Amino acid sequence: MRTIVFSGRNLKELLRDPLSYIFCLGFPIVMLLIMTVVNSSIPPEAGMTVFRIDNLSGGIAVFGLSFVMLFASLLLSQDRTGAFLTRLYASPMKAWEFIGGYYLPVILLSVIQSVITFAASFVIAAAEDVEMNVGRVLLALLSLVPTAVMFIGFGLFFGSVMGSNAAPGLCSIIISAAGMLGGIWMDVESIGGGLKNVCLALPFYHSVRAVRSIMAGSTANLGTDMLIVAAYTIGAVIISIIAFRKNMVKDNR
Amino acid sequence: MENSSVVIKSLRKTFGSLTAVNDLTLDIASGELFGLLGVNGAGKTTTIKMLSCLTKPDSGEAFLGGKSIITESNEVKRIINLSTQETAVAPKLTVKENLKFMADIYGIDDPKGAVDRVINELSLGSVLDRNAKTLSGGWQRKVSIAMALVTSPRILFLDEPTLGLDVLARRELWNVIKGLKSKMTIILTTHYLDEAEALCDRIAIMTGGCLRAVGTADELKRLAGKDSFEDAFIEIAERSNGKEEAV
Repeated sequence: MRTIVFSGRNLKELLRDPLSYIFCLGFPIVMLLIMTVVNSSIPPEAGMTVFRIDNLSGGIAVFGLSFVMLFASLLLSQDRTGAFLTRLYASPMKAWEFIGGYYLPVILLSVIQSVITFAASFVIAAAEDVEMNVGRVLLALLSLVPTAVMFIGFGLFFGSVMGSNAAPGLCSIIISAAGMLGGIWMDVESIGGGLKNVCLALPFYHSVRAVRSIMAGSTANLGTDMLIVAAYTIGAVIISIIAFRKNMVKDNR
Repeated sequence: MENSSVVIKSLRKTFGSLTAVNDLTLDIASGELFGLLGVNGAGKTTTIKMLSCLTKPDSGEAFLGGKSIITESNEVKRIINLSTQETAVAPKLTVKENLKFMADIYGIDDPKGAVDRVINELSLGSVLDRNAKTLSGGWQRKVSIAMALVTSPRILFLDEPTLGLDVLARRELWNVIKGLKSKMTIILTTHYLDEAEALCDRIAIMTGGCLRAVGTADELKRLAGKDSFEDAFIEIAERSNGKEEAV
């Protein structure tokens, strides 16, 4: 019950921040529109399909989730910086109720963001005369849940170990890395070499490739991609819990 | 003390080589407004943190409402609440939402009734629907105390409640605190001498983590042989050599 009460408070805090709408909801739509315009300028003989709406939507959906990490880190670090969390630490709330209370509303925000991204993609796809399968989009949405949880885990980890000034800075670096190394703006397969190995070692490219595979109705690499994302997700959740519990004690020294 | 609400026995807390609280022993009666007075670094906030189960003591024990802060911290947390020296409100929630949130977190049976009661007691009607972050420092502190009161605690900790407030906001908060007297046990930390003298039934003077003297303001003045409370505080703080002076 306390988890739900705390989630409700956190959801209100998120929804009352105009930046949530700009970065979490507005930004993916704007990026979809801009990249669609870019795509229309690329001649078909270039064979570049990264920005075609059925490929782009999955990439933008993953990229949008990276901003959720920023909001999770801000929410927690600001609570820590003020005395609000100290007051709650002295209440009967348990550590898992805090953690659940931070995860749930941000997961909800992530799902809403992804739904809006794909809904906008449908409209653009219709205008571009590109076919998008509803069933595959629903599966793609489902496949994004581990990625969302992973980004939230990273966000809560940074929010636990850093202050409200440092955490957003580091999150911005990771957002940039997710964009560059996730294969959202470039075709990683055609690059090859060391950069490709870096992309393959990190979870972002696997998230993007998994969503694109589902959208294309392909199962190639899907299992591997989802397993790697799941491993990173579990890792992110574990370090976020450890960091939160550790700082629960440290913050009150 | 038979009707003790808070019993502290040889409480000690160190941070590395620094002894923040050293062998603190105290009894605080039920319904008493008890002041912990001392300069910065005296150990007041660390004492509050140990009593409110935020940090564990290195040694010693304390019982709040008969419950141990070490072995029964969950039970202790149900009967206490605290207002910290920094602003402790949810900034984007309205005043009413902040109060309701705290009532729900503590599982209060009639949250709406509890919220309405506190709104009346602290005259919060004019700011009810305003986001907490838009309020002045004085109002935020008042809301912070209201958030503690909405859970009807048996023991209330007020850590430097008027720190950083202007003189008018400070006096208004004094009136709020005076209104709470005898309704619950209140432990108030402050380094404002006038605040301790004006509000507290009894005062403990702490310096360097040690308890130097305990008594009413008049008793402490007699103990120090001074006419003013400020002179008495300085005398006790400077002449004590780690030993408590009982009065």
